[in-house]
Amino acid sequence: MTRALLGDRFTGAASAAVVAVTTFALLVPAALVMVLSFSDDRFFDFPPHAWGLHQYRTLLEDSRWSLALWLSVRIAAPVALLAALVVVPTLFTIHRSRLPFRNALQVGGIAGIILPISAYAVAMYGVYAQIGLLGTYWGLVLANLTLAVPVMLLVTSAAMSRIPVELELAAMVAGASRMQAWFAITLRLLAPAIMAGGVLAFVTSLDEAVLINFLGGPGQETLPKAILDSVRYGLEPVITAIATLLMVGTSLAMAFAVRLARRGAL
Amino acid sequence: MVLDIQALSKSYGETPALQEISLQVRQGELLTLLGPSGSGKTTLLKVIAGFEAPTSGRVLLRGRDISRLSPARRGVGMVFQNYALFPHMTVAQNVAYGLKLRRVGRAERERRVREMLGLVRLEGLEGRYPRQLSGGQQQRVALGRALAYDPEVILMDEPLGALDRALRIEMEEQIRGIHRELGATIVYVTHDQQEALALSDRIAIMRAGRVASVGEPAQIYTRPADSFVAGFFANANLLAVREHELLGDGSARVRCGDGEVRCASTAKAGDRVTLAVRRRSLWRACAPGSLRVAGVVSEMLLFGDEQEISIQSPEFGRIVATIDSRDCGGIVLGAELELFVSAEEAVLVPCV
Repeated sequence: MTRALLGDRFTGAASAAVVAVTTFALLVPAALVMVLSFSDDRFFDFPPHAWGLHQYRTLLEDSRWSLALWLSVRIAAPVALLAALVVVPTLFTIHRSRLPFRNALQVGGIAGIILPISAYAVAMYGVYAQIGLLGTYWGLVLANLTLAVPVMLLVTSAAMSRIPVELELAAMVAGASRMQAWFAITLRLLAPAIMAGGVLAFVTSLDEAVLINFLGGPGQETLPKAILDSVRYGLEPVITAIATLLMVGTSLAMAFAVRLARRGAL
Repeated sequence: MVLDIQALSKSYGETPALQEISLQVRQGELLTLLGPSGSGKTTLLKVIAGFEAPTSGRVLLRGRDISRLSPARRGVGMVFQNYALFPHMTVAQNVAYGLKLRRVGRAERERRVREMLGLVRLEGLEGRYPRQLSGGQQQRVALGRALAYDPEVILMDEPLGALDRALRIEMEEQIRGIHRELGATIVYVTHDQQEALALSDRIAIMRAGRVASVGEPAQIYTRPADSFVAGFFANANLLAVREHELLGDGSARVRCGDGEVRCASTAKAGDRVTLAVRRRSLWRACAPGSLRVAGVVSEMLLFGDEQEISIQSPEFGRIVATIDSRDCGGIVLGAELELFVSAEEAVLVPCV
């Protein structure tokens, strides 16, 4: 057997091992939390002494959690919508125009997720303090938008580059205006990717736990912040139920998004 | 005359892509733009379609200047190399697209789609999506879509480029048939000489952004305008000429190698010239008044009924001849071989 082949086998086995360990390390705590969420104990204990839906009942009864979820949704929904409104024209500029700086636009568009989030949060805090957006609802929407736009841009840009420009040209020769070609052909073909990007943008915003601590004001408690505070001020077992619902919810949303993106692939 | 291209130029920044192109396309003819890649044939098609604006010059369609109109308002049809069918529309919806934009009524639209699908022989597939069709079928849908709204001229950009050989020959036949049946005016882009020969009423050979030659296939084949046309279109050998004298009646006396012949000429006085000899114009038998070409056999390729023999001649360099397999007896790789050029098939052409 040749040396190269042996080397291949070794790296193959090594990377398989790394993947296995990483997956295990990621999944075990998640599974543990899910198991714990069905405990009826008042305090964390493993294995639980009694099983039941106590944590989920607490979650429903305590208005603090539903209020937090409601605020998160009220931020994430417009963030997803606004992200689409920003991303779609950006896509056409990057992929269909001859503007000299269109590549810079692509890089600038995803800067929000390249920069270290804590540094970014400090910068935004400074700006928000200047213009009086601290602790405002629209301030939070705008902040989350800067994270959601890059996520959506990445997903949709890949889909856009798979749509041949000839389709628009074919439509235009057949009698369509540029706008008609864009709407009836390109945007229509892009729709599944935009929906997938919207789901990802929604989840990104829903899950945002750093910016809220810098930019949120009193009474502005999003779900991630509520969880963080609850952990900080004494461990309440109810957060296992929240964590479980969040994990299941986002997994389903992600699976949906992936399916959409696949269906959109030409 | 349907399409009249007048002194059309196009440059990208400093780089000229088309230079002073003048070309007329007649009613009902299939004109091929033939040239190597980068010769400007696709750019010319794009300017006619309206995807690119010319730097100078005009394009007239039935006397109407369309140079500055949007593609939608030109009334041309186009078939793309990669079909460019709308993947989210069925075959019928693809074909009906142009009619719908022209607000043709539903009944008329359906009648027209049926007619087109009959024409391109895709009856029964109207409900399919493009991804459910083979490459050849997709290109036929694209053809139907381009023909459906009865455009003044149809532009085809290497429509058979993505198909395999057998399918290409079948599609050539079908395009010929449709062209004859509808009397459609077609501008067809290709880099394949065989395709151009099989389809065209006339051929415009393009080189470096200019039209090097326009004419009927047989005329370009037997009387190439210059050495580029002879080499590119007819795969001709270009033989160095020692002396020549133009005789004024389209013929010339040429001294070439150790012989002298009288042959046809497309050169003008003062041109640098070379003798173009097509691969099939080289014979093993010596006829009176023919030129002798000798060298060492460097390559032999069997094509079935005929063979392609390359010889390395000290005087002319590499010469390629296509010779009937029955006449190939005794030809041995590495051995000396002498061949004869029949004078009536050689052409004196200007060098470019």
